[in-house]
Amino acid sequence: MAVQTAAQRLTSSSTRKQRDYLPYMLVLPIIAYEAIFVLIPIIQQVISSFTSDIIGIGTVRWVGFENYERLFADRNFWNSLRVTLSFMGGTVVLSVGIGLLAALLLNRQFRGRSLARGIMTMPWAMPDLPTVMVFFWILNPNFGVINLFVRWILPIEQTPRWLLDINLALPIVIAIAAWKAFPFYGLVTLSVLQSIPQELYEAAKVDGATPLQSFRYVTLPEIIPTLMLMGVLACIFAFRQFALIFLSTGGGPARTTETLVVSVYKTAFASFDFSYGATIGVAGFVAVFAITLLFAYLQRRQEAQASS
Amino acid sequence: MSTLDTSLPHEQRRSLASPNHWTRRIPVYVLVILFCVVTAFPLYWMIVSVVQPIRLSLQYPPPLFPQAFTLQPFIEIFTGQDTAQRIDVWILNSVIVASVTAVICTLLSILGAFALSGLRWRGQAAFGLMLLTTQMLPEALIVIPLYATIDRLAMKDNLVTLALVDTAFVLPICIWILKNVFDTIPTEIRDAALVDGCTRLRMLWRIMLPIAAPGLVAVGVVAFFHAWNEYLFAASLISDRRLYTASVGLGSMISMIDTPIDRLMAAGLLFSIFPVIFYLLVQRYIVAGLSAGAVKG
Repeated sequence: MAVQTAAQRLTSSSTRKQRDYLPYMLVLPIIAYEAIFVLIPIIQQVISSFTSDIIGIGTVRWVGFENYERLFADRNFWNSLRVTLSFMGGTVVLSVGIGLLAALLLNRQFRGRSLARGIMTMPWAMPDLPTVMVFFWILNPNFGVINLFVRWILPIEQTPRWLLDINLALPIVIAIAAWKAFPFYGLVTLSVLQSIPQELYEAAKVDGATPLQSFRYVTLPEIIPTLMLMGVLACIFAFRQFALIFLSTGGGPARTTETLVVSVYKTAFASFDFSYGATIGVAGFVAVFAITLLFAYLQRRQEAQASS
Repeated sequence: MSTLDTSLPHEQRRSLASPNHWTRRIPVYVLVILFCVVTAFPLYWMIVSVVQPIRLSLQYPPPLFPQAFTLQPFIEIFTGQDTAQRIDVWILNSVIVASVTAVICTLLSILGAFALSGLRWRGQAAFGLMLLTTQMLPEALIVIPLYATIDRLAMKDNLVTLALVDTAFVLPICIWILKNVFDTIPTEIRDAALVDGCTRLRMLWRIMLPIAAPGLVAVGVVAFFHAWNEYLFAASLISDRRLYTASVGLGSMISMIDTPIDRLMAAGLLFSIFPVIFYLLVQRYIVAGLSAGAVKG
């Protein structure tokens, strides 16, 4: 590198005629790193799903598709898929929806805007553990302040047991996850809203558009690509969500909040059935890869639109 | 005020309709206040439960504003007789893990971001997709093989191992963040340096990194607090209580039913303060990097 002439350096960075090894040398350590910590474990996981490996029982042996046959017949697996989809659907709609509303609100001119923006950032910055702790406390069946709020609004004597209630646990976990996630979507949407040229709104006003119409015909077309990308991103974040669910309900009551990732963890570290846990994990890879491709596709389409 | 100027009814109408007139902004303020109260309530409630004596928190209905003031819970979590609950040790462990993660991650991010920004090469798209897939992958899906391998290599209960694993999962986001920062450096500056006879690595070191310094800080902060917040790997790879990170320690406090609520909230508050402050400072960079191209311009 050091003996290259200035002219050679220029051509190697500005054209692709010459073989240029620099980028490969730069990314090699990263690829090696991710291979060790992500790629090899994935391969091990897939191999493991064809074996029987229960900690403390016998030795590891090859069982072919046995684990997969068990998976497809397993009611708990189908249940965890249903829970995952409900959790994903709920958090995506709630967090992106509230994020959009918050962004529209914070996009207006008012005093204390940066303070409001700062407050909105807080739930997102809060780590999972304190989040679970404080919601545990708010939702405590005996002492929780939620009981007070509910009695303000509804004339009920007996408040439910919140996270221990079989019908309420999942909606509550969704609400907690959305509270924590919406600021991110709000901040992203806000930055897009602020990049919309003011002239478009003025032109719409001149044409006699009502505020609702200017939202429909000016704002919405500008933010729809971002909303779609965020929707996919939100799906993935919801799919990954572990600590929040695991710590607040442990998957219960009666597996009503046991998502796929929670069930992988519980199968491996509570039932010590490593290979079956791995099998559920492989089903998860398929889902993640599909969503990632969708994300990459939407992103590329958006970039193509932006440049045309 | 022009609204008092009766001789100009036209002016008056316009000022009432203008978005700057205070009466038109009342609904906005009401909504904003409502929004802030709901958003901030959990954090507020955490603070209230710490600073008022626990007997007040345990009555029904609980007072919505603190009726008395104490800092006893903070003293208790540091001087508690129970040596198993040493939050100072947990926080020190978290700082070690998070610092190692931040250093490795920042160094690797510089390489990756430089390769993605400005350089053109075959396989760039594939590399991007690899990063994206890693970023999307739920940690819980590969915790089993990672645990098994690390157990076999006798590298469990090791804070550096934990930092290495955490780095793998936060690295893609950090690369995107730094790439976005590098992209904002005008190509004229880079080209000028190259014409002056700099090698590209020298140009990266002498020209780009100083300009991108705030971005480097943002990357370090993101990596640091990723490791700081991380629970899954910490919980499965660390079983020695003396090596508990704060997240695992807090998790163990949750599962212990007899932990007094004020101490629990004090620990949680202490654990949240640093990320909340730092995220407020660097949120712009994170938003752009996390959405990885969702925002252009």
